[in-house]
Amino acid sequence: MTASGRRPLLRLTGAAATIAALALSGCAGTGSSEDSDAGGSGPVETLTFWSNHPGESKPVETELLEAFEAESGIEVNLVTAGKNYEEVAQKFNAALSGGELPDVVVASDVTWFNFALNDAITPMDDLWSATDVDSEGYVDSLREDYEFEGEHFALPYARSTPLFYYNKAMWAAAGLPDRGPETWEEWAEWAPKLAATNGGVAPMVLPDGSNYLDWYFQGMVWTFGGSYSDEWDMTFTSDETIEAGTFLQDQYRQQHIAVSNDANNQFGAGQAAALLQSTGSLKGLTGAADFEIGTAFLPGPTPGCPTGGAGLAIPERISDERKEAAMELISFLTNTENTVKFSQATGYMPVQKDAVDHPDMKPFLEQNPNFRTALEQLEVTSSQDYARVLLPGGGARIGAGLDRITIGGEDVKTVFGQLDEESTQVYERDIEPKL
Amino acid sequence: MRRPAPRRRGTLLAVAFLLPNLVLLGVFTYRPLLDNIRLSFTDWNISSPTATYIGFANYVEWFTSSASHAVLWNTAVFTAAAVIGSMALGLALALLLDRPLFGRNAVRSLVFAPFVVAGAAVGVAFQFVFDPTFGLVQDLLARVGVAAPAFYQDPEWALFMVTATYVWKNLGYTFVIYLAALQGRRAELDEAAEIDAASAWTKFRRVTWPQLRPATFFLLITVLLNSFQVFDIIDTMTRGGPLGNGTTTMVYQVYQETFVNQRAGFGATVATVMFLILLVVTLLQVRVMERGQER
Amino acid sequence: MSAPTPAGGTGLRGRVGGYAGLLLVVLLVAIPLYWILISSLKERPDIYTVPVSWFPDPVTGANYSTVGTGVAFTDYLRNSVVITATLTVVQVALGVLSAFALAFLRFPGRTAVLLFVIGSLMVPNQITVISNYALVAQLGWRNTFAGIIVPLAGVAFGTFLMRNHFLSLPREIIEAAEMDAAGPLRMLWRVVLPMSWPTLIAFTLITIVNEWNQYLWPLLIADDASVAPLPVGLAQLQDTQGLTNWGPVLAGTVLTMLPILVIFLALQRHMIKGLTAGAVKG
Repeated sequence: MTASGRRPLLRLTGAAATIAALALSGCAGTGSSEDSDAGGSGPVETLTFWSNHPGESKPVETELLEAFEAESGIEVNLVTAGKNYEEVAQKFNAALSGGELPDVVVASDVTWFNFALNDAITPMDDLWSATDVDSEGYVDSLREDYEFEGEHFALPYARSTPLFYYNKAMWAAAGLPDRGPETWEEWAEWAPKLAATNGGVAPMVLPDGSNYLDWYFQGMVWTFGGSYSDEWDMTFTSDETIEAGTFLQDQYRQQHIAVSNDANNQFGAGQAAALLQSTGSLKGLTGAADFEIGTAFLPGPTPGCPTGGAGLAIPERISDERKEAAMELISFLTNTENTVKFSQATGYMPVQKDAVDHPDMKPFLEQNPNFRTALEQLEVTSSQDYARVLLPGGGARIGAGLDRITIGGEDVKTVFGQLDEESTQVYERDIEPKL
Repeated sequence: MRRPAPRRRGTLLAVAFLLPNLVLLGVFTYRPLLDNIRLSFTDWNISSPTATYIGFANYVEWFTSSASHAVLWNTAVFTAAAVIGSMALGLALALLLDRPLFGRNAVRSLVFAPFVVAGAAVGVAFQFVFDPTFGLVQDLLARVGVAAPAFYQDPEWALFMVTATYVWKNLGYTFVIYLAALQGRRAELDEAAEIDAASAWTKFRRVTWPQLRPATFFLLITVLLNSFQVFDIIDTMTRGGPLGNGTTTMVYQVYQETFVNQRAGFGATVATVMFLILLVVTLLQVRVMERGQER
Repeated sequence: MSAPTPAGGTGLRGRVGGYAGLLLVVLLVAIPLYWILISSLKERPDIYTVPVSWFPDPVTGANYSTVGTGVAFTDYLRNSVVITATLTVVQVALGVLSAFALAFLRFPGRTAVLLFVIGSLMVPNQITVISNYALVAQLGWRNTFAGIIVPLAGVAFGTFLMRNHFLSLPREIIEAAEMDAAGPLRMLWRVVLPMSWPTLIAFTLITIVNEWNQYLWPLLIADDASVAPLPVGLAQLQDTQGLTNWGPVLAGTVLTMLPILVIFLALQRHMIKGLTAGAVKG
């Protein structure tokens, strides 16, 4: 290997030891410096907005920002900060380590809390009064998703809920009424009929544990009277939660419910009669399917449907002037007129209570009856359990557990018992000391 | 008639040639590595400005956790299969396309093409290969009346799926390196073999293969190091699932712990362990190859 | 019967076997590529169908125009070219010089330096990005080409590749050059490099591909179309919670690949053997 060749391993080992020694004594900064922009005073002339343009929303975002500029004179720099919420969070974390922070950042239902807990994003309640934001105008469940210890850390922006999608032709073939099942028991009765009359397609398909099955199952658990957690108390092993898990497992075993890596397209290609999927997919599915799609509330009793999606947050370590300007931008982006525009362009839920009465909404709802379903369902949604959204890695952990009881066929009690244990451990290790 | 460059001059020149590169690697690779090693002894939330020193607690946790054993196993299987698969196929293709065949240039480009595709797009394209509903494998097997395996749901098939996908993508790399080595080999040795009228296999074993040894050595090390660090394909195809960690490899665990579970200190520990494993494995490879060359 | 021909090929049997192998390779490698291509030419409902459809019907260019109109494609393309070209020139130069020093110059600590170089291949970029981000931000290099390029400019893979290749060169030629008292640079340029084109081209190609596809690092550093390369620019075509519209995404993938394949076609022709190797056909 070396040209001069003798006993090279000895030398390599020596060099390795040197590197290791260097490494052990090494110290380089993590960089926790305050943002250098923070001291800026005077009127704010430009703002930076980090978004992943949820729902292919770049055009409508750009349009809204131009309107904001015309109204306020503040120019907004729209930055593509990733192709999903995780990448935006990654970029934001990098900025926290000592870069230039944005003024407004998209934060998802699972990423905002860690930012709040580590003082990376600012509580908004004072900013609301300073900039005359009417927080009561926002849909209550959506606003309260960002509440923690009496403060709010974001305002809802691209918000969605799961929706029950069904293939109307298959429904008709099975002789079912043109609506979704009212309860999961009713679903269990309908499923065999759907299977029998539609040549072996899955009666219902759900995204698997790597694709947020934990979110869709959240509502199902509630209808059984169970939950993942009650605030920070884990409730995976409650009788009701176990019952819901057993129901899911039975439905999977009886082939009433399939679990798939690509549930959307399986349904869209006519390979499943029903699907639980985000309202954010409404536009896409309607465009991709060549059959008539019906939508319905998730089976009850209510609440049987969680909220989800993303909000807008403001970093903690920017100047007060910037925070107020950022608040004005968020307030503008989510006011009634603009949330209507945004939701019509993307399929996300309007976040203002009075959006339903907006003059633009009526003709839109008439043309898109499925969107009306989503909108009406919003009233009966509920905020998600802490174990899924506030606990670090909660979604992935529960998703893996649900994979195990469906695909893996493992015992529900055992798996949920382990989920309970692990979640409690994570809470005690990562959350409790910071409260 | 001077002797080869005296030592001091050699040193000065070496410094001039090497320094810019070493400084860049030092600042942008080793500085973060040292940072990472320091952080591996801390409890650090990725969004927090402070990290708390906790000694070896992260290491103890990693080495005693059953999830780590699964991850280590996945990594070993994935890496071994990726190294053997892409090197054997790459060599076969290079030998084939080193010969004068009609359409050779087009096929060379074709073999190289997958290497050009970004990992995330590869993940998407291979959904059309392995998907139980839309996939080509499923389609072909159905024609002969066989049900396709549950590629996305059975952890072992899922691991096979991501490995096969990576081999497909990485073929272009091993192929190009082997092809370059074949093209650069010394013609007079080949000709000597041809005069001997040696059989193709003998010729390969006696003449070609020894000349490919440096390329093989190089590929063994770099393919191993690269496949240990595959992220995009796993992220787009399975997100480390099914069943939680069916296809989670060490580098995916680093990502997940750091950015999903926000335990950047623990993620740093996994990364450090990974670095040490790679260091040891590479040193062993170097040792074995040197023995081979001495013979 | 199967006596080797001077061209280095074999007899009829070998030739038939060769073409059979070629066909198999074409199928295995080409089908997923073919799928990317035809899906980029399909209308949205035709991408996912059961049974699978092997031909786009109808063929549509709509996905490509979505990429062209929805994204500042030419800006991102220009940035990609700037970043890749700079990095390739710098890395090939640094790599060749470093490899030359490691292969031919005598100096203390040479093995340690080599290990230092190889060792840097063992560090995953998931752990370097955050730390480097902080440094680049302090330097004020966010959203600049320098910020994207400089941290990626160190070259480990190429140094290792070229060093290995240099060591495999025939000793007698190198020694003769040294006896000629050729200066090191002269020796590199006149003697060593002319014997190294195939490997150097392989090095160049792989560098171009790697830098062309950089995603995570430019995503963190770049903020807008003034410096962001194509993979970052195309990211905005992907939906998040909803349903990704794969047509435009795959069209973007095809467009991103094409320039590199053209470069490959151009460069691989130069990976030919030395003149004495006999006829090279095909």
